[in-house]
Amino acid sequence: MTKLAIDLVQNTLDGVMVGSSYALLALGFTLIFGTMRRLNLAYGPTIMAGAYLGTYAFLHLGFGAFPVAVLVLIGAALAGLYVERLCFRPFAQTAAMASMVSSFAVWMQIEEAASLALPRHLNAFPALVSGSLQLGPFFVRLDHLLMLAVAASATLLVHWALYRTRFGLGIRTVIDHRHAAALVGVPVTRILLLAFVLASTVGGLAGFLIAASEAQITPMFGMWATTKGLIAMMLGGLGSVPGALVGGLALGIIEAQAQWLLGPHLRDLVAWGLLFAVLALWPGGLMGAAGVDEAAAVQRRV
Amino acid sequence: MDDYLVGVLSNIGIISFVALSAYVLLLAGEMSFGQQAFFAIGAYAAGIGTAMMRWSLAPALLLGAMVGALAATALGRATLRLSGLYFAIATLAFAEMVRIVFELCTWQIDIGGTLVGPKGTDGFGDIRYLFENEITPAQYLCAIYLLLALVLAAFMVVDRSRFGRALRQAGADPVLAELQGVRVVRVRLVAAAAAGALGGLGGGLYAHLLTYVEPRNFDIMLGVHSLAYGLIGGLGTAIGPVVGVLIDIGLLESSRLFVGYRMMVFGGLVALLLIVRPRGLLDERAVHWITTRVRDLIDAATARRRDHPLRRP
Repeated sequence: MTKLAIDLVQNTLDGVMVGSSYALLALGFTLIFGTMRRLNLAYGPTIMAGAYLGTYAFLHLGFGAFPVAVLVLIGAALAGLYVERLCFRPFAQTAAMASMVSSFAVWMQIEEAASLALPRHLNAFPALVSGSLQLGPFFVRLDHLLMLAVAASATLLVHWALYRTRFGLGIRTVIDHRHAAALVGVPVTRILLLAFVLASTVGGLAGFLIAASEAQITPMFGMWATTKGLIAMMLGGLGSVPGALVGGLALGIIEAQAQWLLGPHLRDLVAWGLLFAVLALWPGGLMGAAGVDEAAAVQRRV
Repeated sequence: MDDYLVGVLSNIGIISFVALSAYVLLLAGEMSFGQQAFFAIGAYAAGIGTAMMRWSLAPALLLGAMVGALAATALGRATLRLSGLYFAIATLAFAEMVRIVFELCTWQIDIGGTLVGPKGTDGFGDIRYLFENEITPAQYLCAIYLLLALVLAAFMVVDRSRFGRALRQAGADPVLAELQGVRVVRVRLVAAAAAGALGGLGGGLYAHLLTYVEPRNFDIMLGVHSLAYGLIGGLGTAIGPVVGVLIDIGLLESSRLFVGYRMMVFGGLVALLLIVRPRGLLDERAVHWITTRVRDLIDAATARRRDHPLRRP
């Protein structure tokens, strides 16, 4: 019985660590959705563009872990800039489908560019630290601990930027009511661009932490990051910052438990099944803000 | 025709079914990332029909379409309350669950000394109906395009019917449609079932063309591609999604013009195209323009226009 309890606590610990990176992924995703009201399918590939830039520098130019981290962030930010200009800026807000398909097209582009730059399927990525810490009967990987710490501070930083700076005020105004924001003189286009680039950078940080803890990266990373970020974001509730944290941590813990109990195949099945159930039963997500989807609410009443 | 061309054309025809499946829901105003699920279900069902139950092709394809429609109806019931992005993600979750279930399921029976049937991640092989019955690739190609032509003809008929108008109305503005007496939920459910049937039919054709399918053929890539085809080709007519498939598979994948850079070229083209035409090449306006021009031509040829009651002097 105590063995079971120890296993469960150990899984939860692992889940929280990995979940912190999911939460960071979801945070970037939700910032883009909150401001744009559209889905950026190229979010994961944007991160992958940064990660591949970092890996390239690591493999061919001999960069260390820290400069690689900087490169990953820069690469993700630049890729985000590209996606915003090509897939979001040119479209009216009503053309959500066009934006999304266009971001999918860019996903294809980035994936191919990445595999042209580094043709091998598996590429080494600089690891941060190795070893693990023993706390009583529990083990914690040091790089996971670092991941948790960086993710937590990045989240606090984003929170501070959103609620304590003029730029954050601008973002929140645009989220509240884009048209009214424009009328009172908020530079909406610039705010949208900056929020998008900020979100891509946050995603890049998550991508760096994940790739570093795996010490490798594959061309599947883009799809992986998009789906994980999407599940975590939708679990927590679209466009909600606390929701992204709750969703990410919940996903991490559930995956860790399911993997331990049922194995990797069923782990993914559980994650998707959970998302499906949450959507079908509480469409707003666990922390969903009311009025996120006003049109749907109106329709439901009719 | 050489084998390569036959293969490419068969592929275009079959993928058109999934593209049309996504297109039906686009008309209803719903975006589905999950139509590959019905394609997979149809492929497995039809494969089980011919390879394991020893049925002939037509009933097996029918089975694929029916199972697809049933699954789509079940999914539709569960996701009726959702709209927009929530619906899209719910369909994606469903499709991924279907794919993983196929990865987990093994059910094989002994047919003439070999084990036949779905085998987890290894997939479902030996769907050899075409070989066993000496159907040539060219004949199968004709069958595919005959079915596609029937489906397109059905789209043309439905588009002009009361249901077709209700569908487009529900897609354009569900609240307004509901207020005007369109039963939006029911219209969408019927559309979802039809889309499932189309996907299942395409899947059955696909399984028999390849003789071998595996769960990873049916991942999110196929789903988002089939959604994109409709938006590239245009939402004005059912020919739109087929045009989309033709551009992607026919022009880019098969012409080998951009070996190694296909996705970069295609991705860039799509992104730019959507800026100019957010509802695709053959959008409603383009289709209207073309049909009126054609009608004018026909009118001029038959000279019916002279005594048209609305003609201005």
